[in-house]
Amino acid sequence: MRKYSSALILLFCSFLSHAQNRFPKPDFESGYQYPTFRYPVPDETVWMVADLALLVLLMGIVAWSVIRKRRRAPVVLVSVFSVGYFGFFRTGCVCSIGAIQNVALALVDTSYTMPLVVVLFFILPILFTLMFGRVFCAGVCPLGALQELVNVKHYRLSKPLTLVLGLIPWIYLIFAIGFAVTRTGFIICRFDPFIGIFRLGGDLGMIVFGGLLLITSVFTGRPFCRFLCPYGAILSLFSRVSVWKMRLTPSCINCELCHNACPVDAIRPPYGNKVKESRVQGVKRILTYLIFLPAMAVGGAFLLSMTGDSVSRAHKDMQLYDMAVQNEALPQNVLPLELEVFYGQGGTFEDLSLRSETLRADFGRYAAIAGSLVGLVVGLTLISLSLKRTRATYEIDDAACVNCGKCFNYCPQNRINVKPENKKQ
Amino acid sequence: MKQEQEKNNLISRKKFLRMCGTVAAGTAAVAVSGVAFRRLALRDASCFWQIDPHKCTFCGRCETHCVLPISAVKCIHANRVCGYCDLCGGYYRNNVKELNTAAENLACPTGAIRREYVEDPYFEYTIDESLCNGCGKCAKGCNSFGNGSLYLQVKQELCKGCNACQIADVCPSGAIGRVAYATAYRLKDEE
Repeated sequence: MRKYSSALILLFCSFLSHAQNRFPKPDFESGYQYPTFRYPVPDETVWMVADLALLVLLMGIVAWSVIRKRRRAPVVLVSVFSVGYFGFFRTGCVCSIGAIQNVALALVDTSYTMPLVVVLFFILPILFTLMFGRVFCAGVCPLGALQELVNVKHYRLSKPLTLVLGLIPWIYLIFAIGFAVTRTGFIICRFDPFIGIFRLGGDLGMIVFGGLLLITSVFTGRPFCRFLCPYGAILSLFSRVSVWKMRLTPSCINCELCHNACPVDAIRPPYGNKVKESRVQGVKRILTYLIFLPAMAVGGAFLLSMTGDSVSRAHKDMQLYDMAVQNEALPQNVLPLELEVFYGQGGTFEDLSLRSETLRADFGRYAAIAGSLVGLVVGLTLISLSLKRTRATYEIDDAACVNCGKCFNYCPQNRINVKPENKKQ
Repeated sequence: MKQEQEKNNLISRKKFLRMCGTVAAGTAAVAVSGVAFRRLALRDASCFWQIDPHKCTFCGRCETHCVLPISAVKCIHANRVCGYCDLCGGYYRNNVKELNTAAENLACPTGAIRREYVEDPYFEYTIDESLCNGCGKCAKGCNSFGNGSLYLQVKQELCKGCNACQIADVCPSGAIGRVAYATAYRLKDEE
């Protein structure tokens, strides 16, 4: 009973203190031995090496089969393997899409360090894209591969809708980087729609969203890759200028089959520009539009910096500050848990308001940068609308093409080229 | 003839621009990777999420916020810190009337803590990890009434090593952080 009461007193005295050794170590007389427990730490090095080796190997296979052999079958095999290995077996972390945030944070914050595997997962697909186009998207990325594998038919969305939805990855990328560099959180990881499917459990909302995306991707190609993936946005920049590119069959007969088969609308049909405009005139027109680009950037910066204050509420410390302000105005008996712990750790309201000041300034600055980037993206998209080039043949949009090789199977000329034995029969 | 020349020019300009683009993109990639490689943590790569037991407040969010159906956070018992008490703050609920093993008296909601009589007046407590859900109720009791030998740790063989730990996002005390391989567990026994 004495133990009990003393313990009660101790509870009242110090709720959060680390009261060690309130009770002395027992002197065992029966020869009792302390049991020993082992807590093994799985050595991830082997797996990391395997992940990286497979990443390079699979991207190499895709590049070889698409650029050199012009065949789809190896890409399908790579997709199946990638969904199984990177998706269900390795359960999706770390992935290249999420690594954007680590790298962005590391570029801004010198105190942040990251493991080698994260850097390589970020940079290797970019380097491969610069060489061979988006071979990572083709089937090595488990998210893209999963959507590709369930895709049955590609119903093409209307052009305006595709255009507007195509802006989302850029805005998502800008916001994800903004949230990462302010250490607010990794939103790409939090709102990953497929990780719950790969892990067979997790946040219900995201699993439902992932399920809906998968159902959508049965009827239209790769909705996540086209309209959400921020890493795809980065890779599209590099695939525009890649050294080797996906090509149409040289002996193209303009039959339209590849255009219909492409899951990402990357094959543009022939087009006759009806607007009569000389080259000089066209260049002048585009240059006039470009004058408006800084205006768009400034406008975007202005608009978003207005919201900086409310966006900063996403940060943990700002939420804490709000709670503290509320509590100062109207002291409550039962503090919110966060506040209780904060005060318990010796934090003061002054610290918190100082921190909130710096955070607000940070968010204002980053919101302005993000806003100007969003303005640039929207402006460039609008300008690209006015670029109308006459195309005599089908052309591949290098930025959108994910090197999946679906078009090969639909191209009558490609089949003849690839399998000479068919020609003989 | 003139037309042909123009055509040639057009192609070469396009090619030239594309080459410029490739070089620019390559330079950008190399520059970014150069800076990124400077931020590498090679020797003590902090790859593992772990709880600092001295910061933990046993708020119970480890149980609810882990991405796994049953949290990767489990209770760990440091026998060398334990007082082996009969009236254990981690084993029994607060203000318990009778010291028996009836479920309404026990702190652990899943019955994961077992105890065995050693000698008068000492009891040995062990944790069945297959039952533990990481709610931290026992750890809270033990830290407020006893020696704090029960505490929460992330079990590394269960943890998925998410890029952004969902528990760390909601941890009120900031007790969860990345640690290196050598210190993947913060065991109270070894302090």
